[in-house]
Amino acid sequence: MKKIIQLVLVAALTVSFSSCSEFLEVNNNPNAPVSENLSLSAKLPAALVSTVNQETGQLNQIGAFWAGYWGTTSEGVNLFVDLKSYNGPAIRHQRDGIPVWENGYTNLLYYQLIKEQAQTEGALVYAGIAKIMQGWHFTRLVDLYNNLPFDDALQGTLHPTPRYEDGKTVYEKSINLISAGIEDLKNAPAGVGPGADDVLFKGNKTLWIKFGNTLKLRALIHQSAAGDPAYITAEIQKIQAEGSGFLGVGENAFVQPGYLNTASKLNPFWENYYRTVQGASTGNHQDLRPTVFALEQYKRRNDPRLATLYVSVGTDYKGVLFGNPNAEAQYNRASTSAFKGPQENGNRPAALFKTATQPSVLMGSFESLFLQAEAAQRGWITGSAKTFYEQGIQESFKYMEVAASEFAAYNAQPAVNFDQATNKIEAIITQKWLALNSLSSIEAWSDYRRLGIPAIPNSLDAPAPTARPLRLMYPESERQTNNAEASKQGSDDMIKDKVWWNR
Amino acid sequence: MIKSLSTFILLLTLTTTAFSQEGRSIRGKVIEQTTGAPLPGTTITVKGTSQGTTADQQGEYAIRVNPGQILVFSFISYEAQEMTVTENTKTLDVALKEDLKQLSEVVVTGALGIKRAAREFGGGAQVVSNESLNQGKTVNPLFGLTSKVAGLRINMYDSKVDPQIQITMRGSRSLNRAKNAPIYVVDGVPVPEITRLNPNDIENITVLKGANAAALYGSEGVNGALMITTKSGTRGRGTVKFSNTTTFSQVFLLPPAQTQFGQGVNGVYDPTQAESWGPAFDGSMKDFGPVLPGGSRHKLLYAAPSRDNRLDLFETGVNLQNDVSFSGGDEKTTYFFSVQDVAIKGIIPEDKSHRTGARFNGTRKFGKLNTSYNVNYVYFKKNTTPDGPWITAYQLPANFDFNSMKDWRNPTSFASPSYFFTDLQKNPYHQIDNIRDLNEQQTVNGKVELDYQVTPWFSAMYRVGLFSTTTQTRSTTGKFEAAGRRNVNGSVSDGSNNFRRLNGDLILNFNKTFGKFSTRLILGQNFRSDYTKTATISSSNLLLPDLFNPGTRIGELTGSSGITEYRSLAGYGEFTGGYNNYLFLTLTGRNEWVSVLSKENRSYFYPGVSASFVFNEAIDALKNSRVLSFGKVFASWNKTGNVTLDPYSLNNPYSQTNGFPFGNLVGFTPGARYPNPNIQPEFVTSYEAGVQLSFLNNRLNFEGSYVFSDSKGQIFNATTSRATGYSSAVVNAGRLTNNIVELSLNGDVIRRNGLKWNVGFNYTHINNEVKELYEGLQSFNIFRQSYANIGQQYPSLQVSDYQRDPQGRVIINPTTGEPLVATDPVHLGTMVPPYQMGISTVLQFKGFSLGAQFDWRMGGWLYSEIVPRMYTAGTDPRTAEFDRQPFIFPNSVIQNADGTFTPNTTVLSKGDKAFWTKQGEIQINTAAKSDYFKLRELSISYALPAALLSKQKVVREASIGFVGTNLFIIRHKDNQYGDPEYLYNSTDGYLSFRQVPPYRTYGFNVNLTF
Repeated sequence: MKKIIQLVLVAALTVSFSSCSEFLEVNNNPNAPVSENLSLSAKLPAALVSTVNQETGQLNQIGAFWAGYWGTTSEGVNLFVDLKSYNGPAIRHQRDGIPVWENGYTNLLYYQLIKEQAQTEGALVYAGIAKIMQGWHFTRLVDLYNNLPFDDALQGTLHPTPRYEDGKTVYEKSINLISAGIEDLKNAPAGVGPGADDVLFKGNKTLWIKFGNTLKLRALIHQSAAGDPAYITAEIQKIQAEGSGFLGVGENAFVQPGYLNTASKLNPFWENYYRTVQGASTGNHQDLRPTVFALEQYKRRNDPRLATLYVSVGTDYKGVLFGNPNAEAQYNRASTSAFKGPQENGNRPAALFKTATQPSVLMGSFESLFLQAEAAQRGWITGSAKTFYEQGIQESFKYMEVAASEFAAYNAQPAVNFDQATNKIEAIITQKWLALNSLSSIEAWSDYRRLGIPAIPNSLDAPAPTARPLRLMYPESERQTNNAEASKQGSDDMIKDKVWWNR
Repeated sequence: MIKSLSTFILLLTLTTTAFSQEGRSIRGKVIEQTTGAPLPGTTITVKGTSQGTTADQQGEYAIRVNPGQILVFSFISYEAQEMTVTENTKTLDVALKEDLKQLSEVVVTGALGIKRAAREFGGGAQVVSNESLNQGKTVNPLFGLTSKVAGLRINMYDSKVDPQIQITMRGSRSLNRAKNAPIYVVDGVPVPEITRLNPNDIENITVLKGANAAALYGSEGVNGALMITTKSGTRGRGTVKFSNTTTFSQVFLLPPAQTQFGQGVNGVYDPTQAESWGPAFDGSMKDFGPVLPGGSRHKLLYAAPSRDNRLDLFETGVNLQNDVSFSGGDEKTTYFFSVQDVAIKGIIPEDKSHRTGARFNGTRKFGKLNTSYNVNYVYFKKNTTPDGPWITAYQLPANFDFNSMKDWRNPTSFASPSYFFTDLQKNPYHQIDNIRDLNEQQTVNGKVELDYQVTPWFSAMYRVGLFSTTTQTRSTTGKFEAAGRRNVNGSVSDGSNNFRRLNGDLILNFNKTFGKFSTRLILGQNFRSDYTKTATISSSNLLLPDLFNPGTRIGELTGSSGITEYRSLAGYGEFTGGYNNYLFLTLTGRNEWVSVLSKENRSYFYPGVSASFVFNEAIDALKNSRVLSFGKVFASWNKTGNVTLDPYSLNNPYSQTNGFPFGNLVGFTPGARYPNPNIQPEFVTSYEAGVQLSFLNNRLNFEGSYVFSDSKGQIFNATTSRATGYSSAVVNAGRLTNNIVELSLNGDVIRRNGLKWNVGFNYTHINNEVKELYEGLQSFNIFRQSYANIGQQYPSLQVSDYQRDPQGRVIINPTTGEPLVATDPVHLGTMVPPYQMGISTVLQFKGFSLGAQFDWRMGGWLYSEIVPRMYTAGTDPRTAEFDRQPFIFPNSVIQNADGTFTPNTTVLSKGDKAFWTKQGEIQINTAAKSDYFKLRELSISYALPAALLSKQKVVREASIGFVGTNLFIIRHKDNQYGDPEYLYNSTDGYLSFRQVPPYRTYGFNVNLTF
């Protein structure tokens, strides 16, 4: 019997130990690839689509309300209440809020990982693109949150509570990052780099460089009133020294991954604000309306874009009052002008809604042209402000499906004509505002914060008649995980505290 | 490996010994001395031989013996009695006396399913009997344990047709909130869950509380173990038992709603708005909803209802349990067979579930080889609607008439989704009928055990267990074509989830006594393999309203699948040395290898030591004490390793989202969790010391223990600042200590003339503290408002608050009247009640029995998410407190230029929707103390007297009874939100807006034995 015991013990132990490591080799994920399995070209498209989804979704929506474009119907009086009443704590709420910060950093991480892999692989174009896109997101976050982590950010547990940096510093570092990205692109050997996986510029390095320069210009324009002209001059000189210039006529930053008219693959802007995959009108399409103010701006200028943007009610275009806490019959769905799309336009593309597979607008050429117009008007860059201004309007007409032939008559009007404008900056910003409508609304809101142009009426549901949104509060998730740092930044009251360039 | 073991077991199958019976037949009856009731199952053996039998259900027995031989009558917890058979003996009736001494020496099911006397146990252990477990006739056996065991906390957290349960033993050792549940071991085999186990099949549950007792089960045992022993047959006449329980459930504790204001906007009535921000109810008939196809308009009385209309959404739930069991056996075999059928109709209309299970437990002896095998099969099916209807209901105006909304299929009715009064809420009955989740699950659980007694001092056992579940799910939404938000896309999602666990143990058991010294050595080897495969296939755009198949979709098919494997190997040992049956010392050790860690980190060892000392038997002065009948002290030290990591957590997986792939264009993004390839096992060191005392002939029993545990290097998924790029990170960090005091007291207050009144009380105080977090952090977010903060109890509730002056008054903005929001959150307290008490009482008189179980928990906090939504919807009573007029915010101040504060008497706050919505975001408004005291279970039963039944031969025992659960509750006055026990999705102290309100149940049951 003892022999049996010995036998069993030896058998059991040898069996278990010899096959031990083999038996336990089951920890390779059979369900999903890891970073090492994937090339840069498998990562870049997803990052760019994620960026544009956030810009045309969440951010454009906030901007469209706060820049005076959108309101809601009487039926929709209880929609978007947090944005209408400037409810900072609700907007920052972890689950029911609007995760601008969270999504911003997530997108930044995508580019961080692409950047790191590209640097390891020596893939300069990818590295350059990643840096430029990080510049986009960091400046965007500063526009909304002011001080935030830059150097410490995006490193996982290396810096579990990333240190915040001054908004101005982050802006400067972002501009430098974009410059470094442009440098990478210029140093990249010809013929190497992304192709179809670059869903923004199809691997066109020149356009990427121009895009980078335009982003830098945008960041400088934002700080036009921040009181550091020497810095601006120096940075403008660097852009000019680089020499590629900015996005110009016909040079649009549009993202087209190959949208399909099938569930979950539609253009998200279309699917959110116009039609579902079944072709049903979406809830947003039913209850979002232009404001009375926005319609007035177009009407006052006999603007041909009015007819491509909105559906008329009878012979007129009717808007709503932003933040109206009452459900008045005159602002019902049926009595006000909805966004126009092909179904209301004889199956022809309309200003904002063209097809279910239209590209997403990251930045239109018109935005770049108006930025250049302002820069020229301020004497920062050479070139004619008037030319940029007129090109900006024409590019907007083109995007919004207005015939080019309409421009001459439009431009001849005193309310439009640049030469007749007494306040050129006001003229530029107003036309920029008319062009960015519902496309890059968040930029229009930044212009309003900076210059107070145009004279957007306040929300009727504002906590006080003069209270305007100036920033977003640090999100609850940040208060929960990095409060010591967030608290050091002081008050983040939405209607009291401004971002650095807005002081 | 399995192969080699089975060969070994074949080798062990050697000989069988034959029985021989001679002599003359003796008959008799065994009764209980005090009550005279028969004692079925009494073992009768012939002393010095292997002959024996058991008494049948009447307590009667028959056995062949030779004159002069001695018969031994023994029955658990009764004093054994010896009777000598003489030449003249023909019948031998025996009355056994309850051995009160043995009550305190219960047999516990220790690690590996090995039964042993409690006296040698160096840790906390408590046995819950079948009767106690089934007092409330619960469907889920775990729920029957609630408040009955010191240190064990059980929360039921939903009231649907398949209630889920959260269970923790001796508080939290892990910052990973999902990893604090004990291990479940059914008949020696660890299984992942016992939710579907028939509670009637359970003979008893031994709750092993400490890490020591479970050390031999591996890492999962760090949180204690529930050792479940299912019934087995006994020798003698076969027994058939039948029982039926029918209970009814009724919803209660709805969050209160205001009844002053109806639907509308900014004080103006609006027939198509759902929120209650309209004018005050005035008793008039008002238009309700849009114009109907015929041009007419539905009208509704605009008046505050006298009762809560929301109750109309709920139905009385019905729970029907039928159980049948057969058992029996002879000298060599025993069997137990049971069938249970449970049908539940939910409190939400159309919700239902059905569970049918069967179990066969058998044993057979082949000489020195004991074999046993169990098979349990359970078929479970449920058909429910998701959370929608109730979420809708509490946001609707108080005069909403639920009963009129069932006719939604009528295309011209105001109940039709096309004409429902608002398009921002759905008709709850349309949600109920149209959105369905089906779930069918088959569970197979079985084991085979071969135990060979090689020599009197050595046995070898091999046990292999299988636990497998196959779950098929189907979620459907019926297509409903309408304009805008009223449109509903048809969708279907078919899923399957297959789980299989194979667990094998080889155990060598050595027992040897040397004079006064006894020794036992257990050596074992274990393997475990868990395999899960899931697959879903779905479409969110179906062509037809009532054909649910992805084949009838428009557009692309979506779906995914996943395979998860976890494996572990272990070698372990336990040595127990005893002296004179009153002093014991046990040493344990286990080395484990797990697949989920990297090669360098996956092997880890953990040891333990425990001792117990029955001092009243060792100290002469106490030996025959009339006061102290039993006294034991025990202590233990253990260091237990644990790996709470899920498979594949060492890398960050990439996936395609946002519509990718678009044709041939792929786009991958990483997950939001920062992985850590160097994760190592975490270790919990625990110390326990305790005392067990019985007084006055075991009439009064006391047990007390103190436990200290220290968990270090914990593996948990830490929520991180999004600025790190990730929403969370897997880390090996954090230290948590627990100081636990457990006391239980149980005594017979009255014990005379067939009247027995027993009262029991158990008390647990858990004082845990977060000592360290990683990277020098002071605070860590765990889940929404719950945190781990250094120096505080875990998890602690931290919420946003108003800015306050030094006196705690709320500072308001002097121009807008809005209260200012503080930058920093405030800490309120722990979200787990640190004080838990259970009170039980059983009163027995003749055939009557009255049992009650009270549950009392104190000192914790909860947070409700339902309230902010009710603020926004204008249904919360607070929104009507100031008649919706501008008002002076109570106890508010205005900050002066010099920094001082003046009480606010002039600045009005708006009492409108925007104002109250903002107050809903100030989380302190929806936090409350979670203290409660409730009558958890009440049972009254009456057993028909034997005399009544003796006239027929079919029914041997019969009883009827009443059962009820949750019959009353006392909550903290600030808690208007719900039942504090009733937590969302296994969180701590967290009530969700998704949860259906709790219910109470009452009903009756009938038990028959044939």
